[in-house]
Amino acid sequence: MVNPVQDTAIHIDNVCFAYSGKQALHDVSLEIPSHKITAFIGPSGCGKSTLLRCINRINDRIAGARITSGTVRIHEIDIYRKDIDIQELRRRVGMVFQKYNPFAKSIYDNVVFGLKIAGMTKRSELDAAAEAALTGAALWDEVKDRLHSSALGLSGGQQQRLCIARAIANEPDILLMDEPCAALDPLATLKIEELMLELKKKFTIVIVTHNMAQASRCSDRTAFMYLGKLIEYGDTLQIFRNPSDKQTEAYISGAFG
Amino acid sequence: MANKESASSKTAHRFQRRGFSYERLIKYFFASNAGLTIVILVLIIVFLLKEGLGFFPGYRRELETYRIAGLEFVDISRKNLTSHEQLTSLLNRAYFAEINGKAMREMRRFQEASALFNAYSDQTGPTRDLILNNPQSDAGGNSGMLAVLRENYEKQKQKALGLLPATPHLTTDERNQLVSSLRARAPETTEDPPLVVSLTENYTAAQAKFSEPLKDFRATIDSFGAAGSDLGTVITEMTESVTATKEKLQSADIIAKDRETLLAAANNAKNPAERERLLVDANAAIAEKPDVEGPMQLLMNRREDCIRLHQQLEKSVGEILPAIPQSLSQPEANRILRAAHKSWPVFIADLKAAPEKIKIWNHTDPVPLSDAITSFFTGKDWVTGGEWQDFYGILPLAIGSLMIAVVALVIAIPVGIGSAIYVNQFAGNREQNIVKPVIEFIQAIPSVVLGFLGILVFGTILREISVMDSFQWVPGFPIEERLNIFTAGCLLALMSIPTIFSLAEDALNNVPSAYAEASEALGASRVQTTFRVMIPAAFSGILAAVLLGLGRVIGETMVVLLVAGNRIKIPDFTAGIGSFFQPAHTLTGIIAQELGEVPLGSVHYRALFIVGIVLFVVVLGINASAHHFVNRVRK
Repeated sequence: MVNPVQDTAIHIDNVCFAYSGKQALHDVSLEIPSHKITAFIGPSGCGKSTLLRCINRINDRIAGARITSGTVRIHEIDIYRKDIDIQELRRRVGMVFQKYNPFAKSIYDNVVFGLKIAGMTKRSELDAAAEAALTGAALWDEVKDRLHSSALGLSGGQQQRLCIARAIANEPDILLMDEPCAALDPLATLKIEELMLELKKKFTIVIVTHNMAQASRCSDRTAFMYLGKLIEYGDTLQIFRNPSDKQTEAYISGAFG
Repeated sequence: MANKESASSKTAHRFQRRGFSYERLIKYFFASNAGLTIVILVLIIVFLLKEGLGFFPGYRRELETYRIAGLEFVDISRKNLTSHEQLTSLLNRAYFAEINGKAMREMRRFQEASALFNAYSDQTGPTRDLILNNPQSDAGGNSGMLAVLRENYEKQKQKALGLLPATPHLTTDERNQLVSSLRARAPETTEDPPLVVSLTENYTAAQAKFSEPLKDFRATIDSFGAAGSDLGTVITEMTESVTATKEKLQSADIIAKDRETLLAAANNAKNPAERERLLVDANAAIAEKPDVEGPMQLLMNRREDCIRLHQQLEKSVGEILPAIPQSLSQPEANRILRAAHKSWPVFIADLKAAPEKIKIWNHTDPVPLSDAITSFFTGKDWVTGGEWQDFYGILPLAIGSLMIAVVALVIAIPVGIGSAIYVNQFAGNREQNIVKPVIEFIQAIPSVVLGFLGILVFGTILREISVMDSFQWVPGFPIEERLNIFTAGCLLALMSIPTIFSLAEDALNNVPSAYAEASEALGASRVQTTFRVMIPAAFSGILAAVLLGLGRVIGETMVVLLVAGNRIKIPDFTAGIGSFFQPAHTLTGIIAQELGEVPLGSVHYRALFIVGIVLFVVVLGINASAHHFVNRVRK
């Protein structure tokens, strides 16, 4: 039972996806509302990361990986059209990865990387943007005195928030998070979750997670996937309290996965 | 007994290890192999040091002889005479370059016509000689042998006419005229073809015409050249006497050494009669102390002469200098003249300093060991097997190695790293599968075989291109020597490209893929990702690749021996870029070339070992720093 969504950021329609001929997604359709947190859950290999990575076309990096049918639209624009500027798309759709991966550069250089790539050169603008992004990622107070020391000297949780700051420095519309807390301890996880709740005011967030509790705590809507298919999609409360599908029920109750 | 019992009680338990297991045997086998490499490395160092360190005392002794016999004294004056001669020759070269530059057209036409005629003569010459030397020619007979020869001559003529060189500066008419005169040429004709004669005359006339305004310059050069003749005479006389003294000293040294050997043998002899005989021999071999003081006195009597002649030379040089023009009209002549003007102040300073040096020189001054060491590391001459005096200065070799390495790296770094970046970042799978094995295959080519390529392609063809008119704008062209620093550098670049490529590619491969993913997710293109993320992250590894490439270049022997030209001389840096087109010798090349020929244990032999030690230390240093950078990547 999918409620009609008023303000839809991403339309995924009948998407099939294959890695070098190996089918990974089967006819997946869902609509992701803007300024909400949408969680993809499901056991390993169910295709939730693949689906997430279709949204900023980062899957294009993998040789032989492609959408075989269906469309992905962001604000009604088909992002798989030939005339799409992929670099611009990725600036509009930021991404945070499972394993925090700041560059071996200074904290400052990490944050302004995307802006410099996009051609921003003015020192004052870069400084302002860096401060805004770090503040947005709740990291400013912790690093403001050592902006020019190496990012690799930060703790794991700080590095992941730096990656979030780096992504939101581009001022994207959508933020994709691929198991952002998988490599973090519970306290750091808590901080990231609080941050997500703050961030959803400005961004549409799509998160892939293995952590049922995390999905139920943070997300507004939840999609359960299994074996490359979308099994159930709806409001998080409804999915967790009253799943309509047996597989969903079995998974969230811990019977498998 | 008690021990044995306790030992046997030990063996009683169930898990007792028995005997010598295969496992341990195999382990020790591998351990011994690994240990052997370390032992060998230590032995190499020990032997290098053992053979090499004797060099400095030996060299010190040679330098001492050099001083005691008075050679050093003569060299003070001789050095200035040599620079005087070099300056004279520079001025002469400038003079002729000026004339030939102005008479360029006539010279070219003359050269081309002569070259054409020479090509013809070379082809027909042997048959022609046979005809002229044939006894039947005198008799005027035309039978048998002579007819065959004449027929052959016609054949050779046709062949020659088919292979005539190009003559771009002759008109078509002139060429046709020349060719037809050659076609009609009988074997008996001795005079040159009319066109060659007239062009020769033209050229001579042009030379005469253009030398007319340079008359003053000519006179200046001649008087400059003449100014050194008195000093030259004195030096020649002194040379004879000091060489004789040196020979006496050396043979005394040899006898003393023989005596030492005999005494040592006598000490070790087991048979008393044998010992007796050896001792007699040893005692007979006592060298009479050569008379050094006598000849030295004679030499010192020349001291005043030398000083006076130096002052005289300085005075006349000072008078002549203003008469030399500051510039000439032809670029080549101007370049040579500038080189002369540049070396002028040094020459005059040397002349000024010489009298003082001559005055204070004293043959009894001691030669400390440090002199031998500085003379080795800062010496500008590597002269061996000469009649005058051997010098072992490492500078010309080190500079040769360095310049070759610079050329090699300037080529190999962009190519090696560039292709590594391309293959790693941009190439598709199929391209990777072609490019990588091909580059790595180059590494497998024996360097001797690469030497062929160097001599043929980089040597001959490059030189031919360099003398073409249309390439004269390239700095350093035309190349005078076929085998030179640049040739060797090109080949070494080819040999170090695979090293740099493989290691740089590895370094790029080792950058976590998460970096590239993150960068592209932030909106960076492939190129931006490569240059802003991948290369900075792989920088240490790439630097290590370059250093290991450098190590390979410095240590390579065969290629430099084949194609570097092997001239032991510091390149003439006044030629600018052109100094890279001069021949050079290298640290590695000199060892390979000379070690097989030097007498075992001689100073020369030990000098080569020291060169080996220097090489060893340099390459060790390079590899150690490369290691340092690689480890930094790992961390």
